[in-house]
Amino acid sequence: MKINCRIHLTLLTQHSTKKTFPITDSSMKRFAFLSLIFTLVLFYTACTEQKSSSEIDLSDWNSIDSLSRNTTVHFMMWQGSPAVNKYINSFLIPEVKKRFGIDLKISGGQGPEIVQLLMGEKQAGVNSGQVDIVWINGETFFQLRQIDGLWGPFAEQLPNAQYIDFEDPYIGIDFQQPINGMEAPWGNTQFALVYDSIKLPRPPRTLDELSRFVKSQPGTFTISNDFSGMSMLKSMLAELGSSPGSLNGPFDEQKYQTLATQLWDWINAHKPYFWKNGETFPREHTKMDQMFASGELLISYGFNEGGIEDKVLQGLFPTSTRGYAWKNGTVHNSNYLGITYNSPNRAGALQVINFMLSPEAQLVKMDVKGMNSNTVLEINRLPEEWRQKFEQATKRQYGPTMQSLEPYSIQEPAPEYMLRLFEDFRKYVIEK
Amino acid sequence: MKSKPAFGLLFFFLLGLLPFAAALVYALLYSLGIVGILSEGVSLAYWHQVLQSGELLGSFLYSALLAGTGVVLSVTLALWISMGLRTSLQHRFWSLLLYFPLAIPGMVASFLSIQLLSKAGFFSRISMKLGWIDRLQEFPDWINDSYGIGIILTFVLIVSPFFVILFSNVYQNERIAELSTLAYSLGAHGKQVFWQVTLPILFSKTKRIMILYFIFLLGSYEIPLVLGQESPQMLSVLIIRELKQFDLKLIPEGYVVAVAYTVVIAIAALLVFRRREVQVHE
Amino acid sequence: MNKLRYIVLSGLGLGILFPFAFLAMLSFSGEWFFPEVLPGYFGLKNWKEVLTSESGMGISFASSLGISLLVATLGTGTGFIWSKSIAYHSQKETWLVLAYFPYMLSPVVLAACLNFFFLKSGLSGTWQGVVLGQYLVAFPYSVIFFQAFWNHRTRQFEQLVLTLGGSSRQAFVQVILPLAKGMILVCFFQTFLISWFEYGLTALVGVGKVQTLTVKVFLYIKEANFYYGAIACCLLVWPPVLLLYLNKRFVYNRLV
Repeated sequence: MKINCRIHLTLLTQHSTKKTFPITDSSMKRFAFLSLIFTLVLFYTACTEQKSSSEIDLSDWNSIDSLSRNTTVHFMMWQGSPAVNKYINSFLIPEVKKRFGIDLKISGGQGPEIVQLLMGEKQAGVNSGQVDIVWINGETFFQLRQIDGLWGPFAEQLPNAQYIDFEDPYIGIDFQQPINGMEAPWGNTQFALVYDSIKLPRPPRTLDELSRFVKSQPGTFTISNDFSGMSMLKSMLAELGSSPGSLNGPFDEQKYQTLATQLWDWINAHKPYFWKNGETFPREHTKMDQMFASGELLISYGFNEGGIEDKVLQGLFPTSTRGYAWKNGTVHNSNYLGITYNSPNRAGALQVINFMLSPEAQLVKMDVKGMNSNTVLEINRLPEEWRQKFEQATKRQYGPTMQSLEPYSIQEPAPEYMLRLFEDFRKYVIEK
Repeated sequence: MKSKPAFGLLFFFLLGLLPFAAALVYALLYSLGIVGILSEGVSLAYWHQVLQSGELLGSFLYSALLAGTGVVLSVTLALWISMGLRTSLQHRFWSLLLYFPLAIPGMVASFLSIQLLSKAGFFSRISMKLGWIDRLQEFPDWINDSYGIGIILTFVLIVSPFFVILFSNVYQNERIAELSTLAYSLGAHGKQVFWQVTLPILFSKTKRIMILYFIFLLGSYEIPLVLGQESPQMLSVLIIRELKQFDLKLIPEGYVVAVAYTVVIAIAALLVFRRREVQVHE
Repeated sequence: MNKLRYIVLSGLGLGILFPFAFLAMLSFSGEWFFPEVLPGYFGLKNWKEVLTSESGMGISFASSLGISLLVATLGTGTGFIWSKSIAYHSQKETWLVLAYFPYMLSPVVLAACLNFFFLKSGLSGTWQGVVLGQYLVAFPYSVIFFQAFWNHRTRQFEQLVLTLGGSSRQAFVQVILPLAKGMILVCFFQTFLISWFEYGLTALVGVGKVQTLTVKVFLYIKEANFYYGAIACCLLVWPPVLLLYLNKRFVYNRLV
């Protein structure tokens, strides 16, 4: 931040006022003029026109292949994890360079930044966009759909799409809406709760158990005011609806009202036992992870099955950390790769995405010591040799496996639930 | 003296002022639903909504309170250090060391505050070792707390080093030491000299800077983002939250707050800096 | 009295140095669970992990340095020249108030409202765009900074020199620049810092493509792993400390 230097000037001018200098004009004017020209030229060079993307025939992969050779592809993704960055920087980038001559450039940015960028570009009428591929999840997909920010459909036409089961509701349906090929699944994840098995041998799995838990260990549980926290609320809402599938289907205002009222009553009744007596809530789940790591919280949660393996290996979480699902189920969904509506290099984007879905790339991505992300490929559809490799892959040491959580999964409810939970959690809990 | 003011001013206008004006106009248009790809036509609804909710006013008051407290505490602390330790601080080693904290940006300062002051932070661990507390919940609530203590402490951490340097410099440049000697020789005693000579000179020379700092803190972002609570929030945090919100249809509300904030700052600038201040060049 | 002064002074010194030492220590730590006062692991693991997973940390550092130097040069240079036009203008006060506007506004808010224009002009995602964005903050700063230089006495001096004759070029190169060197260097350092620490505007205008060191390391500060966050802080803080040291030596010499 610049506060400290912004005004620093004033103090330094204090003692300089005493000095006086003779000055002349013409050479200064020349200097002034030159620097003006220099500045303008500098910025003009940045404003030159870019090429725009040609039309793509998805049925002709050979031409896509040749169009994509030796091009540059911009991929905007979240870069906050060394494990993910390592996968990208030491595997993906060199591989696409070697195979297709593609220069894959990474731009940092996640959901809100992607939406902000594409809205801005739409607004400004930019035909040749800044990025080609975006890594998104359901919330962002929902937002991008509102502004027609994605190009497609393309996903089912990719050569490697043959290994993906688009009929699987956790892949082909995102927030209760069919993806219709507008995004390609890249990873598969389930929401899980995180606890330390030494400090907390029997973690709560229902609202009643949670009620007893917060009363016996006040201050050690909270709800982050972001997507992870809202996903936790969805699990609670589904439990109040008394079945894992209670929120399936299109948004139902009446159902929401009934269940949400119960939920806010429950939270408000219990929030004196939450972290900071429920007077405030952490903004992001990363903050909860930090507090879990330092021992301030006894329970954390998040997608990627809680992201436990990685954090234990980093020395952030203790080795006794384990994960589990809510008894009535936690949200199970996929994260996806999309191509922007104004991507200047669609062929290159298709090529890269197709490679990211290849058995080879997905297997490396699964490495428990690396990115440790569940594959979206249907193992039974793979050629024999790959199937064996996937089956023989090393298992997680600390985090729960997808298989163990699967019996407790619920579908992502319609996006309106998320919108309303955000709004009402602020209105009826935070600001109350 | 024939400089070309028109040329220079044009440049200044283009790079110094036009962007500011453009940003304001864009935000205004967005807040009225005139631009924006999801806009449903011109509407005062967003303004109405924001002004009605009271969150904007709350945020203004909250920001002003925290910024004001931050400046007052920083100035007091800086006065105490710079005047109390004046003779020692003139030493070469100290005058170098005092500049070090200026290299800490707000984000790093807030990171540090969390690591040191939170309930599971470094100081809490030391208190536990020393037996002052038995459970971490007993450690005082300084981070993300309801009174903004963490924010204010971090403001002080960032701002007071600057004021220490400022006061030391003004003291030298305004020859306060000589004036004090004069006052002493005229029979004044220590307290009188401080309250009636030193302090008035320091304050009159640094008044504007204090106000400017208040305005900076009012708009600070990273520190309240990391250390603040979810409600009320400081202005910049509120604006960015509204601009990045999940419900894209409500983004114009963020621009409403941005416009309101910008206009208030502009008026403040006019009030504070427009008054002709006679510059004394000794 | 002397004893108290000694204690307070030592406390102050420790207080100033402690944050730097603590950040460094945290960056080498791991497995530091509550309520331990010392970490369970101390070594190079975190640094190795961050530096190997991040290809192009060196490039980021270099581009940060390049952008900051350019912003500082442009900001200081143009600010020096144009502050004169304003200082000698009859409506000086009005212009100055206007200069304060962009300077007082929260940079993140300014950036959010300006983003449209950067996208429209095609400057988004380019280093030139980032330089321009940061320059928009550095320039008014520099203009305000140099106001003190163009004071009444400077003006009288100028007239005197002109009366006495002598080439204007000589005067500029051999008299003004050497004399203004002090202030120019200080302003250069300040604008450098503005650019070096700038995050919000850079991230927005750079669209995550122009990965200055600040943009890269702030990601880690925000994430769950605070050991990596500490590395990020060290990378951010130490270069300015070095520069500060150089700058301070200069300021010190001038002051006394």
